[in-house]
Amino acid sequence: MKMKQVAFLFLIFLASQTVHSWKKDEFRACDQTPFCKRARFRKPGACTLIAHDVSISDGDLTAKLIPKAPHDQDQDQIKPLTLSVSVYQDGIMRLKIDEDPSLDPPKKRFQVADVVISEFETKKLWLQSASTEKINGDDGGLSSVVYLSDGYEAVLRHDPFEVYVREKAGNRRVVSLNSHGLFDFEQLRVKKEDEDWEERFRGHTDTRPYGPQSISFDVSFYGSDFVYGIPEHASSFALKPTRGPGVEESEPFRLFNLDVFEYLPESPFGIYGSIPFMVSHGKSGQSSGFFWLNAAEMQIDVLAKGWDAEGGILMPTEQSRIDTFWMSEAGIVDTFFFVGPGPKDVVKQYVSVTGLPAMPQLFSTGYHQCRWNYRDEEDVENVDSKFDEHDIPYDVLWLDIEHTDGKRYFTWDKMLFPHPDEMQRKLAAKGRHMVTIVDPHIKRDESFHLHKDASQRGYYVKDATGKDYDGWCWPGSSSYPDMLNPEIRSWWAEKFSYDNYVGSTPSLYIWNDMNEPSVFNGPEVTMPRDALHLGGVEHRELHNAYGYYFHMATAEGLLKRGDGKDRPFVLSRAFFAGSQRYGAVWTGDNSADWDHLRVSVPMVLTLGLTGMTFSGADVGGFFGNPEPELLVRWYQLGAYYPFFRGHAHHDTKRREPWLFGERNTALMRDAIRIRYTLLPYFYTLFREANVSGVPVVRPLWMEFPSDEAAFSNDEAFMVGNSLLVQGIYTARAKHASVYLPGKESWYDLRTGTAYKGGKVHKLEVSEESIPAFQRAGTIVPRKDRFRRSSTQMVHDPYTLVIALNSSQAAEGELYVDDGKSYDFKHGAYIHRRFVFSNGHLTSSPVGNSRFSSDCIIERVILLGYNPGAKTAFVEPGNQKAEIELGPLRFGGQHAAVAVTIRKPGVRVAEDWKIKIL
Amino acid sequence: MRVYSIFILFFIASFLPSSSSSSSSSSSSSPSSKHHFLGISPQDENYYKSSSDTISCKDGSKKFSKSQFNDDFCDCLDGTDEPGTSACPTAKFYCKNAGHIPQLLFSSRVNDGICDCCDGSDEYDGQVKCPNTCWEAGKVARDRLIKKIATYKEGAALRKLEVEKAKVAIAKEEAELTLLKNEEKVLKVRVGELKEHKELIEKEEEKVRLQKEKEEKGKREAEEDLREKGKADKEGKVEHEKVEEEASTENQPTESTREDIIGNVEDSSSKEHALENTHESASPTTEDVSSVATEIADDAGSKISPDVDKKENEVSSDISEGMSREELGRIVASRWTGESTKNQGGNKDHADDSHEETPKDTHDEQYDHHATDTVVDTGKDDNEKYDYEIDDEQDESYEEESHDDMSSYNYDDEPDLSDTTSSYNSSWLEKIQQKARNILKAFNFFQTPINLTEAATVRKEYVDSSTKLSKIQSRISKLKEKLKHDFGPEKEFYAFYGHCFETNQNKLRTSHCSSFVLLSLSLKYRLPNISICFAFNNLDFWLQVCLQSVSVQTSFSRGGLHINQFGVGVLQLLCSLIDWILVLYFSTRHWDKFEDSYRMMVFSNGENCWNGPDRSMKVKLRCGLKNEITDVDEPSRCEYVAVLSTPAVCLEEKLKELQHKLDLMNKEQPREHDEL
Repeated sequence: MKMKQVAFLFLIFLASQTVHSWKKDEFRACDQTPFCKRARFRKPGACTLIAHDVSISDGDLTAKLIPKAPHDQDQDQIKPLTLSVSVYQDGIMRLKIDEDPSLDPPKKRFQVADVVISEFETKKLWLQSASTEKINGDDGGLSSVVYLSDGYEAVLRHDPFEVYVREKAGNRRVVSLNSHGLFDFEQLRVKKEDEDWEERFRGHTDTRPYGPQSISFDVSFYGSDFVYGIPEHASSFALKPTRGPGVEESEPFRLFNLDVFEYLPESPFGIYGSIPFMVSHGKSGQSSGFFWLNAAEMQIDVLAKGWDAEGGILMPTEQSRIDTFWMSEAGIVDTFFFVGPGPKDVVKQYVSVTGLPAMPQLFSTGYHQCRWNYRDEEDVENVDSKFDEHDIPYDVLWLDIEHTDGKRYFTWDKMLFPHPDEMQRKLAAKGRHMVTIVDPHIKRDESFHLHKDASQRGYYVKDATGKDYDGWCWPGSSSYPDMLNPEIRSWWAEKFSYDNYVGSTPSLYIWNDMNEPSVFNGPEVTMPRDALHLGGVEHRELHNAYGYYFHMATAEGLLKRGDGKDRPFVLSRAFFAGSQRYGAVWTGDNSADWDHLRVSVPMVLTLGLTGMTFSGADVGGFFGNPEPELLVRWYQLGAYYPFFRGHAHHDTKRREPWLFGERNTALMRDAIRIRYTLLPYFYTLFREANVSGVPVVRPLWMEFPSDEAAFSNDEAFMVGNSLLVQGIYTARAKHASVYLPGKESWYDLRTGTAYKGGKVHKLEVSEESIPAFQRAGTIVPRKDRFRRSSTQMVHDPYTLVIALNSSQAAEGELYVDDGKSYDFKHGAYIHRRFVFSNGHLTSSPVGNSRFSSDCIIERVILLGYNPGAKTAFVEPGNQKAEIELGPLRFGGQHAAVAVTIRKPGVRVAEDWKIKIL
Repeated sequence: MRVYSIFILFFIASFLPSSSSSSSSSSSSSPSSKHHFLGISPQDENYYKSSSDTISCKDGSKKFSKSQFNDDFCDCLDGTDEPGTSACPTAKFYCKNAGHIPQLLFSSRVNDGICDCCDGSDEYDGQVKCPNTCWEAGKVARDRLIKKIATYKEGAALRKLEVEKAKVAIAKEEAELTLLKNEEKVLKVRVGELKEHKELIEKEEEKVRLQKEKEEKGKREAEEDLREKGKADKEGKVEHEKVEEEASTENQPTESTREDIIGNVEDSSSKEHALENTHESASPTTEDVSSVATEIADDAGSKISPDVDKKENEVSSDISEGMSREELGRIVASRWTGESTKNQGGNKDHADDSHEETPKDTHDEQYDHHATDTVVDTGKDDNEKYDYEIDDEQDESYEEESHDDMSSYNYDDEPDLSDTTSSYNSSWLEKIQQKARNILKAFNFFQTPINLTEAATVRKEYVDSSTKLSKIQSRISKLKEKLKHDFGPEKEFYAFYGHCFETNQNKLRTSHCSSFVLLSLSLKYRLPNISICFAFNNLDFWLQVCLQSVSVQTSFSRGGLHINQFGVGVLQLLCSLIDWILVLYFSTRHWDKFEDSYRMMVFSNGENCWNGPDRSMKVKLRCGLKNEITDVDEPSRCEYVAVLSTPAVCLEEKLKELQHKLDLMNKEQPREHDEL
């Protein structure tokens, strides 16, 4: 027995070093970012551009922007800019400002491709004419006015130039741009000899070959008290002012996709994704929106009232207003004004530009179990069987990076996962699915086919010198496919075929992480801004959309894999406007503390408001070890996230729901089961989002637009229009103050107790659940049987929970389809509308549906019903059904408190009527 | 009786049609009448077959009609009314599984499209057809059970022996403790006396010295005077030399006497322990080998387990021949600690040198020292020491080292504590007392000038006695601590104390190199052949993961990797290529406690994991014939779980339970299969 040399290495890790939380120094502040610093120094009225040659051409209102009184020395630099205003159906105005391509600028500025959906162009209204008018208070200047939609007009003031939309009646402004004269457009120019365009930050040099090219302007929202949106930040839902009176030194809200290690729970700092879409809302109950399609680094100031007191520009109206200031490093002005007027209208208008959220597969709306990492096949089997042992449902088991062969995605570690397909089949036999991770960094290893292929084809992003960009990520030296290029995206998509992705099966779906992109040794942990993409586009110009294109390519890969019949499921960490079309996102690497639990609500609300409805935060917190109480509370809240996944860092203790004693297991099981009983409702809401963009999880004011008390409430949220949920965000809470909006009552989901609307209730809180209520006047469909996963629930009967309003009426909907294919697009769905009034519950179809289901309704629960009747009659057939008191929920000791129609036995797919006599 | 059964028949008869004609039910998915008695466990049959029209929910909350029984609608919150359907979440479905073990399923499994019961009774709505696999599955299960019972039988016998032995050993140790305590008392007095006398002597000496000085001074003065006078005084000088000479010759015999009496502690005590602990079947081949093995164990700071002991013997004897990989791994491990012992050599020598001055440095404490240093050194010292090359040369050097150790023990002149527990004990004490008496007698404190030879003897005796006393005290505290330990309700875990179990598992994968903070270098290494050497050390508990592949000379400093010092590339290289020994150092002594009614040993408060928790380990105990680790795993970072098979948990009650289970299974077998 010949032994080779043996070397020993001891790794005795000593007392852990203090883990620094957010590494502030690694990231640039505004005053370390020249364009941001320059822009913030500008004073109101600094813009001297006027609109010239205003005319209608190609159905647009066009103009040239030129300086009013060009300074002689600047003459070579300031060339006219082109401006165009286009109008689209449903109250959308698009304003574009760019350099005049006919004047031969040094480089074509980047316009973000593939975000505005092609259908949007078909909604364009071809303008025929513009009227010119003098508007009071405009010093006699002229404005051109065009039709926008019924009741709204788009206005271009000529001198100084300003663009806004207004209500026709009463001349009330809605959204305006450059009302404060802060507009600035740094034109591309030839470098002067003495100029140094390079920028340095922490040892990284940005060559900036094209010099300064930033754009900034002010946008005002009228009739509004709060602005929301522009994810992703860990901050309050209503955006706090970042400049002006009463604001201490603050950074602007930054939009720059970054892999921020241990992000702070309260900071305007940019994290994984960017959607430059802002929504305003005010006392009038009206909302408006503004979207800037620009993928370069963006910084946005929300200006506190009185910020311009010194500037001396008096705004022309008395409307309450919020001013904001938008700055971007590069790109063009391509902005969209949404008139609303309702909050849901604004969202609908926004998704008509960027696309509707994808309809998820049913399984992906269940509970997901993830950890970095489930180590091997045995571990997977063990975790899977523990769920069964504890009778806790779950749908998806996730594998993080360690499942691969040396972080080469699309491969399996042969020792740990020797039989990946068998493993997936075992899960699939229980109706469960698996998700594996595929990140954009490709290991630079000649023996790795993917790398070989990509480098031979020249598919990688190039560095400033034109060589393949080489950065560090999980596998070490890595390169990144240029996802801007459609050809490369389709090459990437091919990699997901069952042949190419060896060991993948139809029950396997994908997780895209690190797609900001994260580069460990790059500036600010990302790719250098001067890296080059297709057509010489600099990374700075599209940075915020890189992850979007990657997500898109992956989703297309799954679509191709299933011959276009299987709805993809792809979770992405980075996102951009339009990402909702490709799948889900989560709020990244949060921490196991109460603050992160708390901030997850405004984060998820903001994502929903900006189109990304399928989102959630890691339940339990990614970093650190949650106290059992925090974990339980997180499950209780997470059960209402649109995307519900438990996840943990590999340095943390195991925290699967059964590891914290029987009581806590029961509490977590109960929380997860609540989600499963509500799956029919959630799925219906996902469908609503899929056709309207209205998010699954909504701010209270979206349902109660005139209820001022709800405007800044981000402790509670609505799930659809029927449920209100409020998390418990502190340890050992005994009480919670819950604001219940509106005039109607609310019914406690657990006890059925009714609470009056329009007031704050101080409620006792137990460990059993977080406050959650059903709004009077709504009907929520449930499935009250517990199964291993959503797959086994397909044939289970429904329960309808009817919360009656003061006039003993209620209504609700149910959407059902096969849960996985696109047949629903061709009518293979069931969409029912349930209406209860005058003691009659009727089910009628919504739209033309043709999908069959053997499911029946086993139970109808009536909340707020004055009992009396003992029987109900079911039509057709005039069958009798008993009425008795039953529990509101199952699975524990719940008192029989709810009036229950027992076994009406009607089929969910059919028309019927239940009459209580 | 007859009436009763007729009654039941009647009941059933009246039951069946009533459900199909149930007016309230129009549900298509409610089970047909033949499913009415589905899911009921035999104990419950009578509960449902009552004569009255209604049945109570078991929790007493409600009553339900017969038509509501198993009608796929949940009426009782506790699920009483729906044992055969999925309607009540809290209900349990009973499958008979004739030919196999009956099963209670969560109601969530009923008609969910997945066959759970081997008799297929949980799926009856036609979604899937489940074949009856109970006979095959039952046979496998029965065979397994039979095997398990056999193991339990044999294991229980072994356990009995262990328990007996443990009782004897504990009794012995308790007796030893009592004796030691007595001796401690006696010795304390002796030491006190000796000290007093020593001080007296010293005082006298001081007096003498002062006087001498005075005399000398006087002499010198006189000499000066004499010199002045030109005359030398020879006599005084001669006197002085003579005294010195006498002192040194006196010393010699004393030393040898002491050796005779006390002997070699290390040698005989270890031998005795080895013998005590050795499994009956595993008697050492030769005394030499056994002592080598003992020393290897001692090197590792450990009293070895029977099995390891045996293996160690084999290893030692086979050392020049080929070795298996795991043996090598173990040797590697012991060498590692052996090396530490060598490092310790300096200290030890020092301790020996200073023995006379520092009698506190006792055997046991030295061991403590040793173990602590072992770990500290691994970090602190230049790692070259631990970079062994395992080849023939290495083997030689290994033997050399062993030899060194042996010799070092051979001339180790620590007092023999084993003597103190032996039958010579009384004579030994007597001897000491006698000696002390003699010495004291020999003194005449009022005699002047003092006999300096005797003074030296007293001093020596004092040092020896107080050394002895500290050793005894140390042994007492050791024993106390050991006896304080939880060895289980019947002391069945006594033999675990300080024993080493091992396994070969090539599945423990660690991810210590990957840490998000280390720029998230989630570097993983291939572990082609891991041997896990896993020992419960009698000083500290350590666990090693040794793996072999390529050697890379590197040095890591204690405190882990510092990303600043190593480039990312270097780290990755290391992690992917290197051999690892992962040393998990546990600072607690032995197991912390048992959990799960003595089915799990818990070790905690280990070395802190970088950016992670303190290392800890849970050892699940399973009945087996040998003490053997059958599985090691790291479910969370630095939290290890091992499975140890051991006779210590082969309980009689459990055996009975298993037998009962087997009887049941055999009884449940369907007739037709009996004929097969």
